[in-house]
Amino acid sequence: MSQRDVLAELRHARVSAPPELRERVRLVALAEKTPPRKIFTWRRSAALLVPVAAAIAAAVVLTRPTHPQALQVQHGEAAITAPKTFALPTTPKRVERYGATLSLRVHDQTDLSDSVKQALRIATSLGGYASSTHVSTGSAQLVLKVPRTKVVLAFAQLAKLGTIVGERVDILDQQVTINNNLRTMARLQRQLKALRAQPQTTAVKREIAQLTARIESLQRANANTIRADRYATVSLNVSTPPKGAPTHHGHGPLHGIGVAFTWIGIGLLYALAFGVPLALIWLVARAVRKKRIDALLNS
Amino acid sequence: MSTFAQAAEDHLDDVYGYLAWFTGDRAVAEDLAAETFERALRLWHRFDPERGSARTWLCQLARTVALDHFRSEKRRLRREQLAAPHERTYSQFADSLTPELESALRALTAGEREVVALRVLLDLDASTAARVLGISPTNCTTRLNRALHKLEEALNVAA
Repeated sequence: MSQRDVLAELRHARVSAPPELRERVRLVALAEKTPPRKIFTWRRSAALLVPVAAAIAAAVVLTRPTHPQALQVQHGEAAITAPKTFALPTTPKRVERYGATLSLRVHDQTDLSDSVKQALRIATSLGGYASSTHVSTGSAQLVLKVPRTKVVLAFAQLAKLGTIVGERVDILDQQVTINNNLRTMARLQRQLKALRAQPQTTAVKREIAQLTARIESLQRANANTIRADRYATVSLNVSTPPKGAPTHHGHGPLHGIGVAFTWIGIGLLYALAFGVPLALIWLVARAVRKKRIDALLNS
Repeated sequence: MSTFAQAAEDHLDDVYGYLAWFTGDRAVAEDLAAETFERALRLWHRFDPERGSARTWLCQLARTVALDHFRSEKRRLRREQLAAPHERTYSQFADSLTPELESALRALTAGEREVVALRVLLDLDASTAARVLGISPTNCTTRLNRALHKLEEALNVAA
């Protein structure tokens, strides 16, 4: 018997389901409700979500503002007229120590000189003063003391003197120290009162003197802290571009695309790092499963 | 779009025939076919006509049900063989087959029988059958050729 005959005989064989099974299946089918067709299948959701996610990512990347701390030098009116500085949080009821550092870049030595003069003028006009000033060829370092209440204004005005290339704000809350000192003073005052009520022996007198000295020291410390913290310290560094350094005239039209490709590359790298092991695990699991099924069916 | 009832009516014989040849036991095939359609009803919302025909989808489900059955059967046999030797009863694959072909089919493994059932009995093309089996079309054709060769040899020996 040839394979052709075998095939013919096999093809001729028809297997029909018995009536009982047909009835069973009919009963099963009767239970069919017509569920509403899902509008959001996983395929449609993916087809919708992937482009949306890509568009959002692209928008974020392309519209992301240049970070102020990046050492990207910008020239031109736009940078000077619209400086972007940190929002300085102020809590007037608390005693805080403000320290701010602002690094600016100006075109040349003349601008540098003008900026220094202007910075000093700004400090004095706001009721502050210059704590130190160092000017040399190509750079200037100023430490300005500005009333804490006017530090935001000072920062905004100083930022207009050049292109911001770096800034830092440090805020140290001193209220806790002051409160602790006040509590200690209250405790010491109570002790002092108790000692004064006692017979004034030499030992008691000595103790009273010690307590009084300590209270006075704490009072001075608090007063000093409050006085010092009325002024914010603004360190201003102004510099001209280093000689021979290439001058960047802002971003080119392809900068956004470059950034987008960088992020896409990073994303792909992460996807590879996580995806490859997962894919390997999946492949191994699939192979094992297939092997088991084959063994089951060939046994 | 066809309804589940329509699909069940149209493909019941195919699913039953496939399972009967796959398991080699019509009574078992009957139960498995019923289970397949119960499962199919639950999963009917997942059926996508764009990805394949209802027949292919039902055969895939039937295969999953049959594999589950084989696994549980294997476990059961292992337990029972410890207690008493197993005695197996056989039923005919189809009424019109010669006894020689019946026994030759019986000698095939379940894996070989299912490929014969899909390609010959259900007349599925290589790629559709391969999809049901989760293998490549080439592999499917190789399996079919091997099974047919075995059948041919068995029939020639019997003759």
